Amino acid sequence: MVDPGRVRRRFSWGGYLLLAPSLLLFLVFFILPLAVMALISVLTGNPVTETEVSFTLGNYGKLTKDIFYLDVLLVTFRIGFYTAAAALLIGYPLAFQMARTRSKTIRTLMLMAVLSPMLIGIVVRTYAWMTILSDQGVVNSTLMEWGWIAKPIHLMYNEFGICLALVHILTPFLILTLTGVIGRIDLSLEEAARNLGASKARTFWEVTLPLSMPGIMAGSLLVFALAISSYVTPILMGGFSVITLPILIYQQISGVFDFGLGGALGFILLLVSLVIVILYHRAMSRLSRVAGV
Amino acid sequence: MSEKIQKGVTRRRFIKTTGAAAAVAAGGLGFPAIVRSGPTVLNITEWGGKWSQVLKESVFPEFEKTHNCQIETDTAFPFAPKLMASPKNKPVYDVLHSNSNDQWKVAVAGYIEEKPDPAKIPNLKNLHPFATSDKIVGVAAFTSAIGLGYRTDKTDCKFESWKDLWDEKFAGIRGTYVITNGLGACLFMMAGQVFGQGFKDTEASLKAMEALKPVKQVDFTGTMEKQLFSGEIIVGVIHDSAIWRHVEKNAPLAFAVPKEGVLALEQVWSVTKGSQKKELAYAYLDYILSPKIQKIISEAMWYNPANKNVELEQKYKDHLFTTPEQVKQLVQVDWKWYNAQESTLAMAYNKIFQNQ
Amino acid sequence: MKAVNWGRIVFRGLNILLIAFLLLPIVIVILFAFNSAEFIVFPPEGFSLRWFDKFFTDPDFMGAFFLSLKLALITVVIATVIGTMAAMAIVRGRIPGARFLTAVFLSPLMLPAILTGLALFQFYVIIETGRTFWGLLVGHIVVTIPYVIRTSTTVLYNFDTSIEEAAQNLGAGPLAVFWYVTLPLIRPGVIAGSIFAFIVSFDQFPVSLFLVKPGQITFPIHLFNYLKYAFDPTVAAAATVTIAMSMSMVLLLEFTVGLQEYVKL
Repeated sequence: MVDPGRVRRRFSWGGYLLLAPSLLLFLVFFILPLAVMALISVLTGNPVTETEVSFTLGNYGKLTKDIFYLDVLLVTFRIGFYTAAAALLIGYPLAFQMARTRSKTIRTLMLMAVLSPMLIGIVVRTYAWMTILSDQGVVNSTLMEWGWIAKPIHLMYNEFGICLALVHILTPFLILTLTGVIGRIDLSLEEAARNLGASKARTFWEVTLPLSMPGIMAGSLLVFALAISSYVTPILMGGFSVITLPILIYQQISGVFDFGLGGALGFILLLVSLVIVILYHRAMSRLSRVAGV
Repeated sequence: MSEKIQKGVTRRRFIKTTGAAAAVAAGGLGFPAIVRSGPTVLNITEWGGKWSQVLKESVFPEFEKTHNCQIETDTAFPFAPKLMASPKNKPVYDVLHSNSNDQWKVAVAGYIEEKPDPAKIPNLKNLHPFATSDKIVGVAAFTSAIGLGYRTDKTDCKFESWKDLWDEKFAGIRGTYVITNGLGACLFMMAGQVFGQGFKDTEASLKAMEALKPVKQVDFTGTMEKQLFSGEIIVGVIHDSAIWRHVEKNAPLAFAVPKEGVLALEQVWSVTKGSQKKELAYAYLDYILSPKIQKIISEAMWYNPANKNVELEQKYKDHLFTTPEQVKQLVQVDWKWYNAQESTLAMAYNKIFQNQ
Repeated sequence: MKAVNWGRIVFRGLNILLIAFLLLPIVIVILFAFNSAEFIVFPPEGFSLRWFDKFFTDPDFMGAFFLSLKLALITVVIATVIGTMAAMAIVRGRIPGARFLTAVFLSPLMLPAILTGLALFQFYVIIETGRTFWGLLVGHIVVTIPYVIRTSTTVLYNFDTSIEEAAQNLGAGPLAVFWYVTLPLIRPGVIAGSIFAFIVSFDQFPVSLFLVKPGQITFPIHLFNYLKYAFDPTVAAAATVTIAMSMSMVLLLEFTVGLQEYVKL
């Protein structure tokens, strides 16, 4: 039996030392600046540039008064959920293959294929999708040429287009996370299940899948977080027919220069996201426990 | 409820506390006290891409030599938030080059000099009226005309009126800009003029926007051109420079000047109030307004120059607004008024187009 | 037996389709890069290398490219080192509130980067350092550390400490245990995190918008600016070069560190 206490005790003195650089960096260059922005969101103006400012909850008040903000929040999270779900459905099979294949070549090739979407740069990639999905793009032109459709299907400038592009960018993150976890699953557990008479499907469902939970959880959370904070893709793929929270924030910061309102929107997003993350964590841990992992 | 906390959170106190908390960081990043010796640095903003290429090659070198200075350009738009996040007495820029709407925003916030002094900038006396009108803060050194660009091979319509954009047959294949973009705001106001009582008839404008659906929206001139080229849209709100740039290459595009007028998309330069190098900044503005530089830039970018004494090549004269009569067709909107409404209008606009 | 084979075929087929989905835009971009047509149109017209020529001879593109590369490489090194250290501390260090700390370190992922950029810019103004290369670097590190911490903690949580236990029983000191046992075993997670960190830094846009020093510009911003005036395939050539460069890095990693180890202990 492993006594984790013995190993841990050796590291505890150094624990704080190891943590220090990252923590300090974060405190000074992330938490502090954000605290400044949080402060601005409860002031009437920017104290750095104005001499007279006073406390106000007006910015947050604006958010509760207009139901449109709630709608935007819902749209943003909806996109996040769909993207995470799709990324999981696409990513799991690929991660599984990458983890289990015995051929080094195939794994390397797959790795390169999986990494490449992340590397073409956000703007160029979106232009590529525009070429494929737009009303006169590859898909529509081909389908119309073959006579399958009479008018173009709107694959862009809506939530579908945004989700598709986001899935494309973010699935590699999920795949890479999942591959490591799946690869580390003890195959003898699966063998044991098979020996006890379970079918392949059942083994997968009751052994492999639960054991991949940590990866599923980490991966889908990452995709969700990145999807809801994404700005460039929803703008270019949504054509402003879909307003997400980051787009609103950008409007406030870049167009109207209301840093207070922009900051308030940002913190609402962060807060709600954190709540969702915590709930998801709890749900997943419960599932893992139930599955006996 | 609000409380006046003048005693508590004054600017000085605020900066002191945060500054103290970050003393370590400042040390790590190197003290700013190292004063740069050598040529003076002029901090300006410019659009990137081809525009800054033209400037770097043909505009900056002579000025830098004559005035023994170095021009440092920020090409990472957006500029106004950065300017407004810096203190007024220590702005991040000496010269701000932007469109008129942004200039008004920073002017109202007190960052720039609103009316340049002809004594300091002699070339101000030689400009078309639009450059220093009451609709401008700073000086408009160039302008484009916002009208309708369309595919000559895909439609017979000549777009003699703005109303043609709303025609049923262009549903879904017309393009405009999102309202937070200057061109989108211009269309918005023009809609009020064309369908309602005037540019400030926001109710008529909102109704017109509703009627414009379905329409493709962009935030970026490049995207509008791309959509016109690929046939995604047949007609779009666009400025003349974007169209004429391509007509040279025999693209099937044309620019329509509707009878209700075209809107001015001015390229405006201004000097910040807190700049420590004002003399240099004024000299720079004067330089941009000089006939020689006006000609270079206008011809490189197909912009309409502000200086009356610029002699352009014939092909540019054919398309651009250079004579006083032509220049009169340019409509300048009241950005000061519009900016004050923008927040509410943007929200109303968002609601119209959410999931159209 | 027959049923199993069908399952495998379907599975393989599905994976091929999914890979095709991932590669589709890339194929298009590469097609454009070699296309002789002046605009980005489909189908492509002819073969040409002129866009690559334009890309490599443009000092702005090259300057931006190497700046982003330099930034990404330094970011990766620093983020990986301090991020892995923090991960070790969180998982093993018996630090109170480890879960909370993890959430804090991951929060940059959930906040739109434009806010992070603006907040840092405002901060630099307050402490009067202005915009510097190091300031930009710090911004990049802040947004990439979450990835390193995330992958490293995942690997550490699933760690079988009995191997370390065995090493200790054989007389190895804590540092030796770390270097010869722990590190090689968590290496896959660390490498995954650093790959993410590199990609995110190289492709980073909103934070850089606020923090770049005038006169310097990063690759993504330059591409964005370029597209304002021209949408010729030079950008596709730029993207193709980026992909080629990253692929070579992956291959290099494969032959030195051995990425195949990534999936198995």
